[in-house]
Amino acid sequence: MTDQLRDRRTLFTVVVLPLLLYPLLGISLIQITQFFRERPSVVWLAGAEWLPDEVPLLKGDQLDARWLAPGDAKLIQLHVTETAPAWMNAPSDAPVADSQNEASNLDPIAVRRGLAHLGAHAAVFIRPALPVLAADQASDGGTPSIGSRSIHIFIDSANDASGVAAKRIDQILRRWKSAVIENNLAQQQVERHTWQVWPMFTEELAEANSQRTAMWSKILPLILVLWCLTGAFYPAVDICAGEKERGTFETILSSPAIRAEIAWGKLLTVASFSSATAILNMASLTFTAMFVANRMGAASSGTLGALGLPPWSCLVWIPLVIVPVALFFSAVSLAAAAFARSSKEGQYYLVPLIMISMPLMMLTLVPAAHLELGTSVIPVTGLMLLLRGLIEGRYSDVLPYVAPVCLAMLACVWGSVRWVILQFNSEAVLFRASERFGIGLWIRRMLQERGLAPTIGQAMLCFLVILLAKFFLSFSLEIPHQWNGFAVQTVTILLAAVAVPAILMAVVLTKSPRLTLKLDRLRWIDVALAAVLAIALHPLFLWLSQWILVIYPASEGLVRMNQIVGELLAQAPSLWAILLVLALFPALAEEIAFRGFILSGWQRLRSSWSAVIVSAFCFGAAHAVFQQSVVATAVGIVLGIIAIRTGSLIPCVVYHAIHNALSVCLASNTPLAFEEWLPVLERNAVDGSLSYSLGPALIMSICGMVLLICLWRDRGRTPGVECSQPSFAPHPSRTLFHWLRGLVHPQRLRR
Amino acid sequence: MIHVRHLTKIYQDLSDGRFVALDDVSFDCMPGQILGLVGPNGAGKTTALRILATVLKPTAGTAQINGIDVVQHPDLVRRHIGFVSLNTAIYDRLTAWEMVQLFGRLHGLDRSTLLARMEFLFDRFQMNDLRDTLGSKMSTGMKQKVSIARALIHDPPVVIFDEATCGLDILVAREVLKTIEQLRDQGKCIVFSSHIMTEVRRLCDQVAIINHGRILACGAMEELTKHYGHTHIDDLFYELLTSDGCVAASQPAGGAA
Repeated sequence: MTDQLRDRRTLFTVVVLPLLLYPLLGISLIQITQFFRERPSVVWLAGAEWLPDEVPLLKGDQLDARWLAPGDAKLIQLHVTETAPAWMNAPSDAPVADSQNEASNLDPIAVRRGLAHLGAHAAVFIRPALPVLAADQASDGGTPSIGSRSIHIFIDSANDASGVAAKRIDQILRRWKSAVIENNLAQQQVERHTWQVWPMFTEELAEANSQRTAMWSKILPLILVLWCLTGAFYPAVDICAGEKERGTFETILSSPAIRAEIAWGKLLTVASFSSATAILNMASLTFTAMFVANRMGAASSGTLGALGLPPWSCLVWIPLVIVPVALFFSAVSLAAAAFARSSKEGQYYLVPLIMISMPLMMLTLVPAAHLELGTSVIPVTGLMLLLRGLIEGRYSDVLPYVAPVCLAMLACVWGSVRWVILQFNSEAVLFRASERFGIGLWIRRMLQERGLAPTIGQAMLCFLVILLAKFFLSFSLEIPHQWNGFAVQTVTILLAAVAVPAILMAVVLTKSPRLTLKLDRLRWIDVALAAVLAIALHPLFLWLSQWILVIYPASEGLVRMNQIVGELLAQAPSLWAILLVLALFPALAEEIAFRGFILSGWQRLRSSWSAVIVSAFCFGAAHAVFQQSVVATAVGIVLGIIAIRTGSLIPCVVYHAIHNALSVCLASNTPLAFEEWLPVLERNAVDGSLSYSLGPALIMSICGMVLLICLWRDRGRTPGVECSQPSFAPHPSRTLFHWLRGLVHPQRLRR
Repeated sequence: MIHVRHLTKIYQDLSDGRFVALDDVSFDCMPGQILGLVGPNGAGKTTALRILATVLKPTAGTAQINGIDVVQHPDLVRRHIGFVSLNTAIYDRLTAWEMVQLFGRLHGLDRSTLLARMEFLFDRFQMNDLRDTLGSKMSTGMKQKVSIARALIHDPPVVIFDEATCGLDILVAREVLKTIEQLRDQGKCIVFSSHIMTEVRRLCDQVAIINHGRILACGAMEELTKHYGHTHIDDLFYELLTSDGCVAASQPAGGAA
């Protein structure tokens, strides 16, 4: 902590920046803004002779003071010219089409040249009334009617000053136009109340105080999060990568402090700086903004002028919320920096963190964003929405979500610290020399030193290849309109992007593709048990997917996509064809990749549980739709357990295929041959959809869970070991079959 | 005491692949003795010392400090060792006093013991002028003094020096060597790595000559020279390295000053 307190970069961000820079910036902003605001707009007006005399727009060569708001006289300079486009001076006798009357047909280059010649920012051309042919008259050569005179404002969107000029003149012209209308109607002796019917007014109910609160509740969470991230950035790099670079880390590691203590100590140090940076920067920015707003508001009563003081409740909520935010950003910054060898490398690793955080922050500025269970578990976003609700005083809306928000943030903190500890234990990370990296060298080494099964790095590589291949294939192929095209495309993506990369990597990168893909052992009892598990657990996953859709409702795009797929499935020749394409092929391809190659790689971790969880997350992440990903992750855990405990891929394929098949059958509205026999299924009389009856399905799910837990608890089955060791394969005597026998004869299992 | 048996360390490197840094290394060091790990650069000295300091884990073999295994109980081992690393590893933005105090706290010394121990060490190494000097303002000699004081703050029975005189001027180097001798006289067990033969001749009771991760010769200084028929350890060192294919015949003995 003392070391960091004396670091100039840290002190600059924490203290110098807020206390010195913002006030200076604020003062400069006021000066600069005043300088810019004084510039008047020059407007070129032509065709004044066509203006009505009853309500004059001009007085001499200038705008009549009646149409000007206070201050407008100084801000608008008019250039009235007699030189006008040809159509103004001499209205053609030839009638024009109605649509042509709406827009001018002037050459923009000529108008731009005129603007440049006069030094004007915008042009206003008054157009005389033209004979007009209505659309139906144009074809049969009917008698033209006389159109109305029109005003054309020409702006140059590439020039900001032109936009400002057009806005100013537009407001003035509208005031004048209202007066013209009123005058015309008065001449026609039309009473005001007959034409000014149902005038509409929007009345403000919120007190000025509430308006201020609403504005601050959007600004403050953003500043808080932004500065917590900035404040964590440099200390995290310096305290991890910097210490490695300077060699001080080695001495800390040889002290009695254990790795976890070092990691937590560093986290608390970084979090202190992160929160201090956020508090000081927020305080300084708030006061500077208020000062600037008040100064600017004195001149014009705009939005900024109404900013005022932030609500006092901020003093309570911000210090409370700052703790999880600072801890979160400190932890993730440390996690990135712990992997780096030098400060420079650390900075490179931390840049993506900013890129990821930005959308999470911006999500809260979307008007539709509000705190609910779905948004509460999104790190950063959930907390920002919570803080917003607290500042606005909507306690009953947001307080129920305090627990999920904090849990999601703290889970990320815990995961990051675990990663940091892992890095502190990794010699490869701590004492990496500056490695020379060459693709050729790397490939040669990989081939020379391949083990029986893949490494963790190779498993991750396979996952990334699958992810990228799926991404590019899905985007490069158009959605087919026919069932055949859909079937071919689905199978092609599964083969090309999922199965082939995994098989190729297993063949090239491992000595035993059969062991890697878990193909060298098969017991039919394992297959039968996997099938029973798939049927028993399916209701649970169906309910999970329904619950996920309640928390995170499907977007319009997703609903439309589902409709398209539904229409395509309706064209399928039979249910069997759908099952082949959507159940069997995905099961085969995805199991080869995720339970075959990827899980085998992760099985190098000491804990089988970690291997199952990580491979399940990979499986979930490979599903493009978020709602699907959550369910896929849960299914991935079950499949991982089956793969590890049976040591074979076939039971996983069977489980996966049955799971998918049941999902397809239940989603299908066509009556199934077997549904009458199964009391667990019931068909909704209203929409005809098929679902599980609660009672029987619950019993089924409980039985399935018990079976799964028993399977997992049989730890002797497969140790999570170095894959190159022969013990990677489950012990021959301890298969699912053996475990079933153990249920009948417990003494055998104990032996 | 230090007890090392069949210690092997293999690094996996992206570019060089499998690199054997230590290959079946065994040695012992008793209390009141200085063991010199002698070898050219890249011989595996630092790797061996880092394993003893529990910073690295061996691929195979065992190492025990005062009967405690470095892999099984690294936390316990760290309480019995003081480690002076190859670079002085001084925090640029901490003063000498703060640095030594930090490590005293990490070793769990109570306030009064820590203060007494710090006063003793600052007097012992004549560092009272350095108390408030920041690490960035110190010379290499000053840094090495602080580094040694830091390693001795908890009065460990075993002290590990990794090239303790590297980069020091002759006066400071002499002072460091004197300190190591005094520690030996206090009954501490000291491992000292170097490639400077004058230092080895002056300090070491036991010598282990190491090259390419293998021990070429190990034993008491006199026994070794007698066994190989040399009068000086320098000649033995040169002969062993030449026969191990490390130095060309025309080159002088590795680093002998």
